[in-house]
Amino acid sequence: MLTTPRLIAIALCAALNFAVGSIVYLIKLPLYLDSIGTILCALLIFPDRRAAFVCSFLAAMISTVITTLFINPFLIWFSATELALALVAAYFIADAEAIFRARPLPVLRFGLRVVLYGILTGVVSAVVSAPVVAYVFGGVTGSGSAFLVAFFLKAGQHLMAAVLHSGFTAEPIDKTLQVLFAALLFRATPKDFIDMVRARPQPAPT
Amino acid sequence: MTPNGAIVFTLVVVVAAMMSRMSGLVVLYLLCALFAVIEVGPNAAAALRRAAILMVPLAAFMVLVWVGVVGRAPADIAASQPGSRAGALVYVSIVCARLFLIVAIVQIAAMRFASITPLQFIKLLRAPMALKRLGVLTLSLIETLLQAVDRAHTALIASGVITRRLSARNVFNGWVLVQTVWLTAITSVTGRMRDKWPMEHTLGLLDPLLAETRKDPLRTPDKIWISCAAVAVAGIVWGDFYGLP
Repeated sequence: MLTTPRLIAIALCAALNFAVGSIVYLIKLPLYLDSIGTILCALLIFPDRRAAFVCSFLAAMISTVITTLFINPFLIWFSATELALALVAAYFIADAEAIFRARPLPVLRFGLRVVLYGILTGVVSAVVSAPVVAYVFGGVTGSGSAFLVAFFLKAGQHLMAAVLHSGFTAEPIDKTLQVLFAALLFRATPKDFIDMVRARPQPAPT
Repeated sequence: MTPNGAIVFTLVVVVAAMMSRMSGLVVLYLLCALFAVIEVGPNAAAALRRAAILMVPLAAFMVLVWVGVVGRAPADIAASQPGSRAGALVYVSIVCARLFLIVAIVQIAAMRFASITPLQFIKLLRAPMALKRLGVLTLSLIETLLQAVDRAHTALIASGVITRRLSARNVFNGWVLVQTVWLTAITSVTGRMRDKWPMEHTLGLLDPLLAETRKDPLRTPDKIWISCAAVAVAGIVWGDFYGLP
C-alpha cells in the first residue's frame, strides 16, 4: 500500500498542510485552511479507497504532530477530527475526482460538488471536534468562532449545544473553501505525478 | 532519557491532566517541575516562557468570553442558575491551569532534545521504518515548500498580484500563491523521484541511517519518570474516589 511515490505524496501533502498555514499567516487571511493536503492526498490516491484513507490520515497526522511541536500546541487534540476528515475525503469527496479534473471545467457540477462536500465535511468536523472544544478548551479555542459560542451561551444554551451550533455555523464555510482549494490543486497537478502515485506496486520478478 | 521515554511520559502526564481536578493538577505541576529541573535544567525557563507566550493570549480570550461576555460558569448554565462572573473566572482558571500544564510539559520534553537534530531524534524513536522515512521526507519537503512560499510570495508582491498587508487583492489572489507553491513542489519532487533519487539511491540510504541501534527502547531514567507519572495517575484516581477537590 505504501509505495515510494505514495510515501512522497503523503509527505508532500503533510508539508502542504503545514505550509498553507504559513501562507494564511503571510497574506493575513482570517481562515484556517489546515486540511487542504489531507483532502488532496485522498484525491491523488483515490481509486484504492483504503489506501486513500490511510495515506490521507497519515498526511494529516504527520502535519498535526509537526504543527503541534513547532507552532500550535493545541492542534493534536483534534486528531479525531483529522481521522473523520480523512474518512470523508477518501469515501465521499474522492468520488468527484473525475469532475474535478474534467476539461473544460463543468462549472455547475464542479461548484455543486464542492459546496455539497464542503458542507458535509464541515458538519462532520463540527460534530467530531465539539466534545474536544467543549471539554478540553471550555468552548474557547482562540478563534473568532468563540464569539459565536459566547452568543449561543448567552442565549441560554448548554456548553455542548453552543459549541455544536457554533461549529455548524462556522465550519462549513471554512471546509467548503478547503475542498475548493484541494479540488483546484488536484486539477492543476500534472497527470504524470498522479499516475506515479496511483501505480500499484509491481511484484518482484522470479 | 530517550525520545521514546519522553513521549510516553508526556502522554501519561497529559492523560492525567485531563482526568484531574485542582488537587491532581497540583501533584502534576510538582512532578513537571521536578522533571524540568532534573532533565532540562536552566533551559526549562525558555520552555516555560514559550508555553506562557502560547497560553496567555488564549487565557485572555477565555476570560473575555466567559467572564466578560457570558458572565457565568457552564455548571450554572446547565443548572439554569443565574451564576456569577467569579464562578466563570474559577472555571476559566481551572481550564487554563490544565492547558498550561499540557503545553508546558510538551515544551519541556521538546527542550530536552533541543541539542539533537530532527534526523537524530527520528533515528532514536521506536517506530516502523515507513513512518520514520515519512517523518524525514516531510521535514525535508516542508523546507522545500517554505522556500517556495518565500520565493513565490516575493515574486507575486513584486508583480502586484498580492500585497504585504491584509487586502481584498490577497483574498482574491491568495489562491495564486498556494497554486504556485504546490506546482513548484510537484515539479521539484517529480524530478527528484524520476532522476535524482534513483541515481543517488537516496531513499535506500535512508534506511540504515534511520535504523535503531539499541535493542531496549527505554533506559532506566525513562522507566523511573514513567513510573512516577503512573503513581501520580493512581493518586489522582484515588483522590477522585475519595472526593478530593
